[in-house]
Amino acid sequence: MLTAIKRRARFALLRIAVLQLSGLLAAALGACSGNGKGLDANGQPLNGSGGGGNVPLAADFDSIQANVFTPICSVCHSGAAAPEGLMLDAQHSYSLLVNVPSTEVPSLLRVDPGNPDNSYIIQKLEGHAAVGAQMPFGEPPLPASTIAFIAQWITDGAPPGQSGGAAEALAVAAVAPLDAAQLERPPAQMALTFTRALDATHLDPNSARLERLTRSISAADGTETQSVTVMPIELHIPAGNERTLLLTPRGVLPEGDYQIVLSRDAADELASRDGARLAPTTTSGANDIVARFSVRMQP
Amino acid sequence: MRRSALRGLLLLSAAAAAGTLLPQLASAEPYLAIQQGLKCIMCHVNPTGGGARTLFGDVFAENVMAATTLPAGFPAWTGQVVPDFVRIGGDLRADWTRSTMPHSPITDQVGLEQMRLYADVSVIPNKLGLYLDELVAPGAAQTMEAYARYGDTSNWYIKAGQFYLPFGWRLQDQTAFVRQVTGINMTAADDGIELGLERPNWSGQLDVTKGVANVSSPSGYQVTGQLVRIQPLWRIGAAAAYTHATAGDRQTYGLFAGLHTGPVVWLSEADLVRQAGFSNGTRSMVPLLGEIDWLLHRGHNLKLTYEFYDPELNVHNNQQTRWSAVYELTPIPFLQLRAGFRRYQGIPQNDAENRTLAFLEMHGFF
Repeated sequence: MLTAIKRRARFALLRIAVLQLSGLLAAALGACSGNGKGLDANGQPLNGSGGGGNVPLAADFDSIQANVFTPICSVCHSGAAAPEGLMLDAQHSYSLLVNVPSTEVPSLLRVDPGNPDNSYIIQKLEGHAAVGAQMPFGEPPLPASTIAFIAQWITDGAPPGQSGGAAEALAVAAVAPLDAAQLERPPAQMALTFTRALDATHLDPNSARLERLTRSISAADGTETQSVTVMPIELHIPAGNERTLLLTPRGVLPEGDYQIVLSRDAADELASRDGARLAPTTTSGANDIVARFSVRMQP
Repeated sequence: MRRSALRGLLLLSAAAAAGTLLPQLASAEPYLAIQQGLKCIMCHVNPTGGGARTLFGDVFAENVMAATTLPAGFPAWTGQVVPDFVRIGGDLRADWTRSTMPHSPITDQVGLEQMRLYADVSVIPNKLGLYLDELVAPGAAQTMEAYARYGDTSNWYIKAGQFYLPFGWRLQDQTAFVRQVTGINMTAADDGIELGLERPNWSGQLDVTKGVANVSSPSGYQVTGQLVRIQPLWRIGAAAAYTHATAGDRQTYGLFAGLHTGPVVWLSEADLVRQAGFSNGTRSMVPLLGEIDWLLHRGHNLKLTYEFYDPELNVHNNQQTRWSAVYELTPIPFLQLRAGFRRYQGIPQNDAENRTLAFLEMHGFF
C-alpha cells in the first residue's frame, strides 16, 4: 500500500517535471520579444510614470542621466535612505559621483574623470567591485554597450550636462543627506551641491560646519536648553567637480541630531570662482543652516 | 575576527599547497549532475553545488568528463593537501567577447574574467568543516564564501557564515535571466545560517540571512527555502524566498526540473519575482529558462538555451528573449574551451536589448 502511494507520488512528480519541460519548449516556440508598441526606450508606457528616457543613449551626462540613472538607478538610489547616501536623481547625481570617494572603497572615486577602469561606478556595474553586489541590484546587468557609454563619458573627463549649466546666483542646489532625513547609520560623508563652481582658494575650515545638537532639561526648573557641539570634519572641493563641497567627519558620528551650517562671515564665506557671494538660504544672520538630519541606530 | 583568522589559516594552507602543486584546470554544471543521476554533493564539497570539488568530483573530472585522459604515470589530482582534512581547489576563467549592438560600433573585450581559490578544512571528519571561497582576480581579493558547517552532509547539516543561497539551477552563466532577475546567484553571497537536509532522493535547505539587498543597511532579512526531488533520470525542485529590505520587499518563487534522455539533458526553470519599491509600485517579473545539453561525444557538449523575461507583467509588449548556442570542448582533464553565440531580442527602441554576443572562453579548475 505504502509502496503504491510512493510510486504514484513519484510518477506525479515526474509528470510535473515533464509538463514543465514541455511547457517551456512550447513557450520557446511561441513566445518572442515584445514589439515595444506604446513604450519608451526603457520599456515603460509612454504616458506612465516609471519611464525615463526618450533621449538617445550617448556618452554625455544628460543622456546617461535620462537613460540610466533616472529610470534604473534612482529607483533605489534616491531619498533619505539612498544606499551609501548616493542619490542618483537628476538633482544630485553629478555632484555625488564625480571626484567623490566611494564610501564602500574610499580609495576609489565613484567617477574618476579620464580613468574609467578605476572609477568605482564602472566596477560596480561590471560586477567586479571589491565590496557588495553588482549593480543594478537584482536586475539584469546593464548591457556592455551601455556601460561602454558611461565609460566613454568618464574617459572624456566626465563633463556635466547642459542641464548643469551656470546659474545666476551662487546658492545651495542640493544637500545629501536630505534635510530632515532620519538615518539608520552615520553618514560617511555629506555633500552640498551649489549652482555654480566654487572658488577653492576661498575655502576655509570654517566655511561649513557640522553641528551636533544636544537637548537637556534642567532638574531645577524644568526648562529645556540646547547645546551645540561642532563636530570635527574635513572640507573638500573635488577637482573637476567644483560645484560640490564634501564634508567628511573625522570619526564615526554618534547618534543624535545634526545640522550643516554655512558661514556668512565675510572672512570665511564660500564664493564662486567669479566672486559671487552666497545667496541667503533658510536663515539669516551670521550662519545659514542648510540641512538638519538625525542619526538613530537600529537595535 | 574569527572569520579573518579562519581566512588567514585557509589562505595559508591554499598558498602553501599552490606553491607545491602544478595548477590544473576544469569545470562543472547542473546538467552534469542530471546526466549522471547524482546529487550536487557527490562532486562538490558544498551540498548545494558549485565551488570546491570532492575527491569524487576530481576523479570524475579526470576520468569521465574529458575527451582524453591524462597520460599514464601522470600524478592524479585529488585536491587533498592533508588527506581527509584539508582540500583545496580553484577556478580560472578567461574570455574574449565581441558585442554587436544596433547603431553602435562593435566592441571586443579580452581578459581574465575571474580566478578563485577554494579551501575546505575538515576539522572533525563528517562533523565540523570550514570553507573558504576567495576571488583573487581581477581586482582586489574578495571573500565570496566563508562559513562553518556542522553535521553530516549526507544527512543533515547547519551552515553559518557567508555563503551563496540555494535557488533553482546553480548555472555557470550568471547572466542568465533566471539568475539575474532573482538576484540569487554566485556573484553575491549572503550572511546567515542554513539548515540542510539530505536524503537519498531528497535535498532541502532553509536559510535565514541578512539579504544581499541589506548589505548597507543594519536592518532587513531574507528567508529562502528549497526542496528538490532527485531520481536517476529526472529531478524536480521548488524554491521560494522572501526579502525584507528598506529598498522594497521582494518575494521570489521558482520551479525547476531536469530530465535525462539518452545523450540529451533537458533543464528548465520558471521564476516569479515580485519586487516592491519601484516608483510605480510593485513589479511582477517572470524569467524563464529552457536548456538542452547534448553530449555529442565524450568531452564534447552542445548547449542550447532559450530564455524569456517579462520585466513587468502588467505592461504589454516589453518582453525580452535570449537564445544561446555554446559548444563546450573538454579536450583534457581540467581544461574546458567554450565557443558561443548569444542573441538578445527586446523592444526595438532599446538597442541594448537587441544585441548579440560572440565569445570564446577558457575555463579551468583544479
